[in-house]
Amino acid sequence: MTRGCELPMESYRLAHYSVQVECYVCGGGNTIDAELCRHCQAPMALAHQASSQKVQPGLVAVLGTTGAGKTVYLGMLMDMLSRRNDGLQALVRGAFSVNLQQITTAALANGEFPTKTPNEPDRWNWVHAQLNSPELRRPMELIIPDMAGEAVMEEIDHARTFPVIRSFIAKTAGIVILVDAIRLQHGGHEQDHFTTKLLTFLSEMESDKASQTSRRKKQQTRPIALVLTKADQCANCFEDPEGFAKTYAAGTWRHCQERFDEVKIFAAGVAGACAYRFGLGDQRRRIPLRVEPRGIVEPFDWLLSRISGNKKGSSRLTLKT
Amino acid sequence: MDCSKRKWPLLCVGFLNIAVVIVGLGIGSLALVALGALGSCYALGVCYRRRGPKRRKRASARREPVVHSLPMASAPKQAVPQDDKEGLVHDLLTQGRYALLLRPQIIDNLDAALKRRTIEELDDEMALVPAGEVVLEPVSQQTDDTTWEGEEGETPQGRVVYLEPVLLDRHPITNAQYQRFVDGGGYEEMSIWDEDIWGAMLDFVDETGYPGPRYWRNGKHARDKAEHPVTGVSWYEAVAYARWSGKRLPTDAEWTKAGCWPVAMSPGNWQQRRYPWGESLEADRANLWDAGIGDTVPIDKFEDGLSVGGLQQMIGNVWEWTSTAYGSPDDASLALPMPMKSLRGGAFDTYFENQATCHFQSGDNPLSRKHNIGFRLALGVCDLAPEAAHLVYGSAENEPLPVAAEA
Repeated sequence: MTRGCELPMESYRLAHYSVQVECYVCGGGNTIDAELCRHCQAPMALAHQASSQKVQPGLVAVLGTTGAGKTVYLGMLMDMLSRRNDGLQALVRGAFSVNLQQITTAALANGEFPTKTPNEPDRWNWVHAQLNSPELRRPMELIIPDMAGEAVMEEIDHARTFPVIRSFIAKTAGIVILVDAIRLQHGGHEQDHFTTKLLTFLSEMESDKASQTSRRKKQQTRPIALVLTKADQCANCFEDPEGFAKTYAAGTWRHCQERFDEVKIFAAGVAGACAYRFGLGDQRRRIPLRVEPRGIVEPFDWLLSRISGNKKGSSRLTLKT
Repeated sequence: MDCSKRKWPLLCVGFLNIAVVIVGLGIGSLALVALGALGSCYALGVCYRRRGPKRRKRASARREPVVHSLPMASAPKQAVPQDDKEGLVHDLLTQGRYALLLRPQIIDNLDAALKRRTIEELDDEMALVPAGEVVLEPVSQQTDDTTWEGEEGETPQGRVVYLEPVLLDRHPITNAQYQRFVDGGGYEEMSIWDEDIWGAMLDFVDETGYPGPRYWRNGKHARDKAEHPVTGVSWYEAVAYARWSGKRLPTDAEWTKAGCWPVAMSPGNWQQRRYPWGESLEADRANLWDAGIGDTVPIDKFEDGLSVGGLQQMIGNVWEWTSTAYGSPDDASLALPMPMKSLRGGAFDTYFENQATCHFQSGDNPLSRKHNIGFRLALGVCDLAPEAAHLVYGSAENEPLPVAAEA
């Protein structure tokens, strides 16, 4: 005697996997249940959020050498924007977006700086936030990853080493470049060389895009905020960031003058004073003696005003100040 | 033509010469015309020479650039030097240097009225922190006491320090108070500055190169910040001001005791406040980052943040220099880039709550002149003349701290 029963067909489940979900960063196809893009390791949650909330988040890149302060800058920025009651405010989307500010504030409150960001893209922290400001006509959605400085340098020197970086930068609406002001002031040219390399990379990317779209409307220049970090440890950096950059980063300054229209130089700092602590194996690490953020929000505020201005289709904005 | 001096005679000469010219033209006499013209030129020349210096002075005044574009505080009227004692005392009191008058060597020269006036000034400006113990670097309450192996002077709670009674300023030193120091020649009085720092004093200038705090201009503070705490002063400038006014910087222990007001619950066990007003941070009690102001405020704001002893703004507004070196000599893992001095209290841009408590210690280079560092001063009761100390501290010296009643 036979009895009837209902069993799900395996082929029905396979149907789900036949529908590809495009990665929001590189556009590569992925299965619906993929956590990270198999092409660029960007979190697939970004694509799911974009489709479910019917938004098109803009991308902002925060770049800089190892130890320039990207993690601290981005973590403090998101924490400050989340706690503000007026002006520019941020509302994070997704639990993964809180990781960066949690790691950063926990370390700083404990009298330490966060550890170095790993080079592997699948271990980076991504932030997806909705930004509101009285100056913005409507809320702006942004995605900002905390990328490792070494990985960025590797991609510039050897293309396709980290495809996510190139794909991401190609799509960014604005860029924040962090430069360690202390190392500049001490005479190290590494910061200047890295920033010049990065600016060259960006300008060539812009030229490639412009040449591809030469028959169509020319794309506007992306705004770039050049932020001198750890400025609280450098005399006169806050008072005159442009003068500081002109003095200690002449190559970068000249490059900005000649290749970019939308560049502005800022100074930022988080620690009021620093010291060193010896850990295991006599490794010396830098520690903040107190946390007093300064100049963190201003570069981002400026960048957003330029991005929103570009989105409105206004003519190319005036030269950098 | 308007000549300031001898106006009428010159006018008459001028008209006469014009008349001669007209007559000469009428009768066709070239000699008369020439004579009249020469006379007129002479009169004009005399008048111009008299007017010229004034015109040149006005022109040069127009060429001079306007230097003061910001509203600056006006210089206080300089006291007319007086030989009498009362005048000198008045000057010292006006400058806020009453502590000098209460020294044993000086007080006997004051009559009863001046003594009373000076004591009143002291009572208005300073508050007493009584003698007793304070626990520095308190450990967490979750520490397992059974594993504690402390040294002498330490308890499971932290390092205990006994203090003599001391007076502390009720509020940080303001721009107006510091202005008196600058106007009184404080930066030129080398005896109040450490000799080691004489070379660095060339850097103790304001934005326009005048001696003074870093963010002043032309030796003056901004007019709208008279009652704000003075900032942009190094530790050495704070010490010099203290010496000039007859006081000193508080030690870390004195500052902490004034803020957290320890109460001995039982022998060896103290309860100390996390904040001057209690245990929880409330945004309306202190000017920190959360207050959203982003700058210093006048010293009479945030009255709800008063300490038990009557000190204002112990937390927030500006960090305060103390006389103690930063860091513990027992902490071998800490390496400072240079010897640092201790800072206490937090400032308007302090971001984390745990860095704005009475127990948190920060530090900085003593030469730093930052936008959020100020100071307040202390005066040991032992430095006062006995009769002044008696009036300040009462009849009993070294009164014990109040002990909580046993349950």
